Amino acid sequence: MDKNIPQEIERFDVSARIQHIIMFTTFLILSFTGWGLKYAYVEPSSAWIKVWGGAKTAGIIHRVAGITMLLDFIYHQFYLLNLARKRDLRLTIIPMPKDVVDMVHNFMYYFGLRKERPYFGKFTYLQKFDYWAVYWGMFIIGTSGFFLAFPVTVSALFPTFTLGWIWDVLFTMHSDEALLAIVFILIIHFYMEHLRSDVFPMNWLWLTGKMSTEKLKHHHPAEYDYLFGPKSKKENK
Amino acid sequence: MRIWQGALMLLLCSLVLVPAANAAPDAKACLACHASMQGSVEKEKGVLVDLNVDADKFSKSVHGSFNCVDCHLSMASQPHKGPAAPVDKAVQELANAISPKSRVDAVAQAACVNCHPDPYNAYKTSVHGRNVIVKKSSDGPVCTSCHGSPHYIQPRPSMESKVYLYNIVETCGKCHEEKFMSEKYGFSPLVWERYLESFHGRKLKLGHTGAPSCATCHGSHGILSAKDPKSPVNAANKKATCGNAKCHPGATDKFVAAITHKPFHPIAHYAEIGLIILTVGTFMFIIIHVLLDIFADIRDRLFRKGDHHG
Repeated sequence: MDKNIPQEIERFDVSARIQHIIMFTTFLILSFTGWGLKYAYVEPSSAWIKVWGGAKTAGIIHRVAGITMLLDFIYHQFYLLNLARKRDLRLTIIPMPKDVVDMVHNFMYYFGLRKERPYFGKFTYLQKFDYWAVYWGMFIIGTSGFFLAFPVTVSALFPTFTLGWIWDVLFTMHSDEALLAIVFILIIHFYMEHLRSDVFPMNWLWLTGKMSTEKLKHHHPAEYDYLFGPKSKKENK
Repeated sequence: MRIWQGALMLLLCSLVLVPAANAAPDAKACLACHASMQGSVEKEKGVLVDLNVDADKFSKSVHGSFNCVDCHLSMASQPHKGPAAPVDKAVQELANAISPKSRVDAVAQAACVNCHPDPYNAYKTSVHGRNVIVKKSSDGPVCTSCHGSPHYIQPRPSMESKVYLYNIVETCGKCHEEKFMSEKYGFSPLVWERYLESFHGRKLKLGHTGAPSCATCHGSHGILSAKDPKSPVNAANKKATCGNAKCHPGATDKFVAAITHKPFHPIAHYAEIGLIILTVGTFMFIIIHVLLDIFADIRDRLFRKGDHHG
């Protein structure tokens, strides 16, 4: 390997790693406590909620975790602004038309119509989906959760014509989308970062923030070429 | 209260002893037969009288120390040559009112009011009581409809009480979820289901000590129609009821609209369907995607060994 090319590159800085840790800790706490309330009538729930100190305490834990997560999310926006201010922000996470091409190529690869995986950039379309899913979740689950946590105060914002359905809509949004988020994370995120044969038992990136250049070249060839010149592009083909 | 009850029992015992010296005033004497009798007899056409009294459960109930004739005051029309004691006016009034509904022993079912005058007075003014006593309707509940058989009543904080915080939801729900009831009286259908789905119902199920069940907001013996201006859940009073210092202080009109027990509004219904489609659609996509990825991974490991590690 070329001497100018390092062994590994940093993918996530310390701040991003801490944001991720706060995000998944609160996510797990919210899932655990919320699940008991969503399935209150399925039997282990009462016992499960007792583990969390009873319904009242579990409710407080859920609210504290929810607000922490919202703050973490808001902090992330300032983190991005700061990167932009330092001219250090690359728009690698924005969905692009190329992602559609990548997806088509990826399915062709699955069906044996292409020999190699798509020419992925720094983030694959699934990783972008995973990232923006948090925004969707924050918008749908975060807002509805905030409204449901402070109903007396927040109700002042609701126009009169919405009162016949707004509470039911908020509750459904919170509960259904939380289930979507949990199952999404369980399937996609756990598969991609834990169960896949090349990362099992887990991708240590969440702690180290680093990825080996070899892995980068294999999984994110476009990013590798961007960082280390067109020479490796030839090698890849 | 105890002295008064004791005095009353003494009075009742002496009353029943005089006219019927052969009849047994003691609960044991009645239970000697009724504890082991099984099944029921048809008193009139379609009126079945359950003959069995579970002596063990009876003795553990709040009324376990009573004699049968304390409540079964008048058995003139029954197979027993029992007491035909003059029945108290309030008992007779209620017994007459509930006799079309309670054909087994209306006097015994009305006898509660002898010892529990306060709940009875509240009941008389309630929508239930007025329905039964004034309108002579067969729909309204009498004491035993909610409290269960007086033979087995448990104190209210007991898990076995039918009017215990957790159990009262089913006790009220059984009647209020009936279709003909909501059609006849114009209250919301699905009240029971919608309560169970609400945060209140779920928290109650999970053992939240502050979660309200039916009687917490609607009242109990003196319950009124929500249309009645005096009802705690009347539109005019909801703010005060929900805004109780222990529950939602500062409740506004917009806030109290949250709990109605009404079925989903169409907007909420279609929003839910939309969210379900989105959720199921996303599941399908990611599951198919992951499965394909697993197959491709296995395929590469088996057949394209050289390729895999790039």
